[in-house]
Amino acid sequence: MLTQLHNVEQSLNQVILGKSSQIRLALCCLLAEGHLLLEDLPGMGKTTLAHALANSLGLSYRRVQFTSDLLPGDLVGMSIYDARSQQFRFQAGPVFSQVLLADEINRASPKTQSALLEAMEEKQVSVDGETRALPTPFFVIATQNPLFHAGTSALPESQLDRFMFRLSLGFPDHQAEHQLLQRDSSTSRLELLTEQLNTEQLRALQQQVPKVAASDALIDYLLALVNSSRHRSDMLPLSPRASKAILRAAKAFALINQRDYVTAADVQQVFPYVAEHRLAPSSDAQESRLSQLLLLQTPCPI
Amino acid sequence: MLTQQMQKQKQLLLSWAAIQFSLLLLLQQAFAGWVIAIFALLLLYRLLSVFKAKAGISLKLVNLLAGIIAITFFLQLRQAGVLHFMLQILLLAATARLLALQHLYEARQLVWVHYFLIACCFILHQDMLIALFILLVFAVNLYSHYRLFSPSVSRLNWLQTGRGILIILPLWLAIFLLFPRLPPFWQIPNVNIASTGLNDTLDPGSIEQLVQDDSLAFRVEFDGALPPRQQLYWRARLYEDFDGRRWQVNALRQNASRQRAADTAADSSLSYRIIAEASQQTGLFALATPVTSSSNVFISPSGLLSSNKPVSQRLSYQVSSSLTPVVLVSEQEQQLNLRVPPGNPQTQQFAYQLKQQYPQSHELVQALAEHFSRQPFYYSLTPPRLGSNSIDAFLFDSHTGFCSHYASASAVILRHAGIAARVVGGYQGGNWHPQQGYLAVRQREAHAWVEYLHNGVWQPFDPTAAVAPERILDSLDSALPEDQRALLDPGWRQLVLLQNLRQQLMHLDYYWSVWVLGFNDNRQRELWRTLYRYLPAMAYSAAVLFSIIIVVLLYLRLTQSGTDNTPQATKQLHRYLGKALAAKPLSLSVSAFLLQCAKRYPAHNAYLKQLTALYEQALYKEDTEALNQLKQLLKCHKAELGRLRRAIKNT
Repeated sequence: MLTQLHNVEQSLNQVILGKSSQIRLALCCLLAEGHLLLEDLPGMGKTTLAHALANSLGLSYRRVQFTSDLLPGDLVGMSIYDARSQQFRFQAGPVFSQVLLADEINRASPKTQSALLEAMEEKQVSVDGETRALPTPFFVIATQNPLFHAGTSALPESQLDRFMFRLSLGFPDHQAEHQLLQRDSSTSRLELLTEQLNTEQLRALQQQVPKVAASDALIDYLLALVNSSRHRSDMLPLSPRASKAILRAAKAFALINQRDYVTAADVQQVFPYVAEHRLAPSSDAQESRLSQLLLLQTPCPI
Repeated sequence: MLTQQMQKQKQLLLSWAAIQFSLLLLLQQAFAGWVIAIFALLLLYRLLSVFKAKAGISLKLVNLLAGIIAITFFLQLRQAGVLHFMLQILLLAATARLLALQHLYEARQLVWVHYFLIACCFILHQDMLIALFILLVFAVNLYSHYRLFSPSVSRLNWLQTGRGILIILPLWLAIFLLFPRLPPFWQIPNVNIASTGLNDTLDPGSIEQLVQDDSLAFRVEFDGALPPRQQLYWRARLYEDFDGRRWQVNALRQNASRQRAADTAADSSLSYRIIAEASQQTGLFALATPVTSSSNVFISPSGLLSSNKPVSQRLSYQVSSSLTPVVLVSEQEQQLNLRVPPGNPQTQQFAYQLKQQYPQSHELVQALAEHFSRQPFYYSLTPPRLGSNSIDAFLFDSHTGFCSHYASASAVILRHAGIAARVVGGYQGGNWHPQQGYLAVRQREAHAWVEYLHNGVWQPFDPTAAVAPERILDSLDSALPEDQRALLDPGWRQLVLLQNLRQQLMHLDYYWSVWVLGFNDNRQRELWRTLYRYLPAMAYSAAVLFSIIIVVLLYLRLTQSGTDNTPQATKQLHRYLGKALAAKPLSLSVSAFLLQCAKRYPAHNAYLKQLTALYEQALYKEDTEALNQLKQLLKCHKAELGRLRRAIKNT
């Protein structure tokens, strides 16, 4: 199965050029059953990444463009009166899909944002007093414009916390962009993507993640790292949920790297993407200053 | 960062230049004047180049200069002595090094040479204040040493420094108290400095000059109570040759000073310790007839003390004296003291008259004393100049003189009257400090009196006591008229605050000389003896203390190993790689570091990769099999690990 995963990674790399580490991290987030927040300027390939992921994993994919007048009902769906059967019938919203791309999530009103966030955390939605389970796997890729852009309302800390990873794609390098311009259009490439890994296989991989070994010494190091954020005034402290997320992400990262144990290097690799948006919600995703600082200041004895 | 580095360099260069200036000052005895001037110029040049941020002098020029100076030092080796030559060469090396300083290891050498030179200062100086200064120079050197190795951003942590000093203090004291006092490895050269104190010649006016000097001559601690002031006549010189104008020590005595007196059975009623200041003379001081003394001091038959070489450092010795007058040594001594130079006819006449009136010598002396006190004689620090017949002029014309005039006149009168008499130079009285328990005798207490032969002993007679009894009973100040006291005390010395300060400094200096300089072999032996007496008690307490320390250490060790959860695999690596692992950046994981090393040292690439793989297995998977393999791999490749350690250490 790991070979299939590798194939997925390779085909994604052909669609989004020169961003192999971000792609690997996005896959890692998916394996760890976390949600992904992409923060970037418009036109950097966020949507393409989400779409390509869904396509190559054979997952159902829906995209919602968030606007300030988007209502919760538009997202989760609503009951509509069916005149023929003379009863209300639930019309499922776009949230009932395996990959949901929530585009420009920070442009929606807080009410809508929190409706999505309930779905993310509970993997279910409650409409008209009835709780409906969401399909599995359920993976939200949210994108947001940098906060200084007009018409954005920032996600509060508690909601940012629900996203396991925050990534930024960043500009492609010269060679990659050159190649991008030479070929016809990326959407056509997107359609060429075939299913490399079916849902069952993905489930199986996701279930392998918790079984990746993490030794006591490694967990001690992770805790030292997390603890170092807890008595400082220049950053928000990392919660236990954050430390759980870091470990899980590190495990997934180890799995992608075809290991059955987590190393300190794995933790160091994923730490900036898992921790930075929890340490400083309003920071720029491009530079993970605070988490790099913590990494530098925490001794790694193992 | 770069500017910080430059700043640090500048500071270091400045501090070294300052240290060398101070060393030059402290060791100036070892250098000729022109050499000091050249050194100072070189250092000044260095300072200027630091401020103008220019490079030092080129190495060639420095070598040339140093070579020339070294050759001149060598040519003057005989004159300067080996010790001074060594000091000269060392300081020359340090200065030349400073002028052309380029590399870090050179700076390190420089700092160590400074340490040595600073220690050498103690050969030439033992004074408390100078010792403090030397300590300051040492501290500056230590700080520069610290700065040399500290990262440029780090500041001195005073708390830590203080703690360090507190920890080292007991050790320091213990070494001072218990370390064996070895005899010096080299002869300390005699220094050509003008001697202080009484000379072998007693000019008219020499004592008047001496008493204007407020510096210390010596200090005395009495084992018993302080004797009355009238007995405090500290004999230092015997003047027996008179040429009509000045008195001189007889050539025979100058040579005979090293003879030891035969042990007499006289009782030694007074025991005391004298701490003599450096005077560059051999002559020392004692009361009346010294009977026994510590081994570093000789007692001559005529009751004078001397050391075997000029006193160039503070000297402490124990004496016990009998308060009886000195005994006549030989017939020759009597003859020596009956010679009278021609001249002074009036004095001669006066002596004959007295002799006829008082045939008994002690009656004659009594009469002479009465003559001085009845007639209008004055005690003065500024006597008028006397003509060729100086004694006549003093006795029958000016009537004004200082102690040397009275002593000289009395001795001449007595000799004319057929009584052997001589002038004694020394000190009278002293300043008693009851709290500190010592008598300070300053140059100001310099005095001259007479000894005359009576019944085979030299009876002391002080004519000054007849003229100005206050001088003997109180002090010189009270004996002098108001207007002359100003001569003794320049205005600034009369400030109460300054005077107090001087007093306190003198007391401190006293303790310094007693407890620090005076701590010699004898005292150390005594200390050991005392320690030996308490040996069992000390052994017990040491054993108890030791066991407590061990228990505490064990406890700490145990509790630490409770919390010390370094995994086995990491411990193994630390054991075999040791300090090489310390080169790992703090935040880097061990396996990442090993892989970095594998990339950097291709010779060890395969081995390191194997090691890393096993280490990861053992650490992260907690695989005991891998751990055993890791141990094997470490154990079997000790040679390779050694090479790797060296490679890492050298980069």
